[in-house]
Amino acid sequence: MNNHATKSKYHRKLNGDTVLVVGMLVLLVSVEGFIIYKILAETWEIAGNFFYLYVIFVGLIVVIETIGCLRVRESIKNHMFEFKYYD
Amino acid sequence: MGWNFTVAKGGVLGSLLAMLVAGTMYVIISLCASELGSATKLAGGPYDWARLFIGPGAAASVGLAVYMEYIALEAADAIVVAFIAQSIFPELQVFPVTLLVIALLTFINYRGVVAALTLNFVLTMIAFIAIVVFFFATAFGTVNIHPEYLFQGALPNGMIGLFAALQFGPWFYLGIEGAAMCAEECKHPSRAVPLGQQAGMITLLIGAAMTLYLCAVLIPADLLGVSVYPLFEAAQNSGIFIFVALLGLGTFLTCVASANGCVCDSSRSWFALSRDNYVSSWFSAVHPKYNTPYRAVIFTVPVAIGFAFSGFLDQVITFSIISGLLCYVLIPFSLIRFRKLFPQTTSRVRPFVGPLQPYIAYFAIVIAITILSTLFWGYKYNLIFAFVFYGIAYFYFSHRHKSSNIENNWTEMGWPLPRGSENVRTGKEAMGLGDE
Repeated sequence: MNNHATKSKYHRKLNGDTVLVVGMLVLLVSVEGFIIYKILAETWEIAGNFFYLYVIFVGLIVVIETIGCLRVRESIKNHMFEFKYYD
Repeated sequence: MGWNFTVAKGGVLGSLLAMLVAGTMYVIISLCASELGSATKLAGGPYDWARLFIGPGAAASVGLAVYMEYIALEAADAIVVAFIAQSIFPELQVFPVTLLVIALLTFINYRGVVAALTLNFVLTMIAFIAIVVFFFATAFGTVNIHPEYLFQGALPNGMIGLFAALQFGPWFYLGIEGAAMCAEECKHPSRAVPLGQQAGMITLLIGAAMTLYLCAVLIPADLLGVSVYPLFEAAQNSGIFIFVALLGLGTFLTCVASANGCVCDSSRSWFALSRDNYVSSWFSAVHPKYNTPYRAVIFTVPVAIGFAFSGFLDQVITFSIISGLLCYVLIPFSLIRFRKLFPQTTSRVRPFVGPLQPYIAYFAIVIAITILSTLFWGYKYNLIFAFVFYGIAYFYFSHRHKSSNIENNWTEMGWPLPRGSENVRTGKEAMGLGDE
């Protein structure tokens, strides 16, 4: 019973961490997408020749950060009972 | 402040590219710092990683670079605080106020750091909320913006400006790798360091993007490029009192908070160098009552005043960036060495395994060197001076510590021997037997 309660508490707290990171990632993609669209749309006559530079680097930021966050979640999930993260 | 010098070099488009390129580098550096910080659990951060995985020369160079990076940043923050104070009270002089800020923060850090850092967190949170509210108010049309400023200041210096703007890109995120330096004080560093580092990095990416957009649509590019407090100016141009008050106070308080954190980090770096006998061990004394490295804290004053005395914000910022970039070359390199020496992925050695390594670590090194090279436009003497300074430090400390023959005690950290050391040990034992 106690073990079940601990497991339930750990998974609830893990979900809390996951929601925090997913929420921030969604905000990151929205904000970066918004400002890049706004700036490139206003300056398209100039930026049209090299817009791909912005696409490449924003893509790298989002992809690497997302994979990194997934790996952080996986690491917490794997070690949460071993290191008693949520006691 | 500081990031807006990207606009002076490359216009709005140069600034946007610098923000994204530097952001990519910092995302990778954060992942490297997460893996290294959660594995070593040491407060010295980049200095300790270089000491353990590269060698004494690199460790001393990184220790000095962290010290210089933060102390120059402290001076820059103090200068901005003084400028804001002068804009509110025009009779004030900038230099005496700068000195007063440095002295006050040194005193706070001399007495203890916990309350000061808690205050830092609250001040930064207020400023971040102010930026988010200001951004959404602008995005939803509550504030009158000038989209024409984006086109007018898009690329004033042509394609070369796009490249030159990279040199101030790190200022959007400078110092975020310091989050991993709290590992020793965390209850669960293997969870707190990677999670805190990534959360901090995403917060900075969001804050940087919002700040750039707000300032670019509210301040003409030629004024934005030379502004000392761009967010405050953007708020003033919006004409809405609540934003002027919030952003004015927010800029002032975050600069104080940032300078305060810098005194803490730079003094700890100098303390670590002293503790390991890289500099005089006199600095490693701990205060009997306040438990702070008080001599190292006090020693930040003359150096910070030296930087502040120049009065040129861009010069101070440039030295901080060069020192930071040296760290951003050596942090990924420490990770590459760590993975070679300790390939194990056990919970004890490496509780957090970063993704896509070591390829992205090499990529971060390439970006850091590229940004360093762009400093050639406008700051080549600073660049040459920094190379000579850190080069001499590297060879001096390598030579000095080769003779003292200090070895890392891996078993004390609960780690196995690094790969390849078994052969060295067998060889040494065989030589010892031969001598006998």
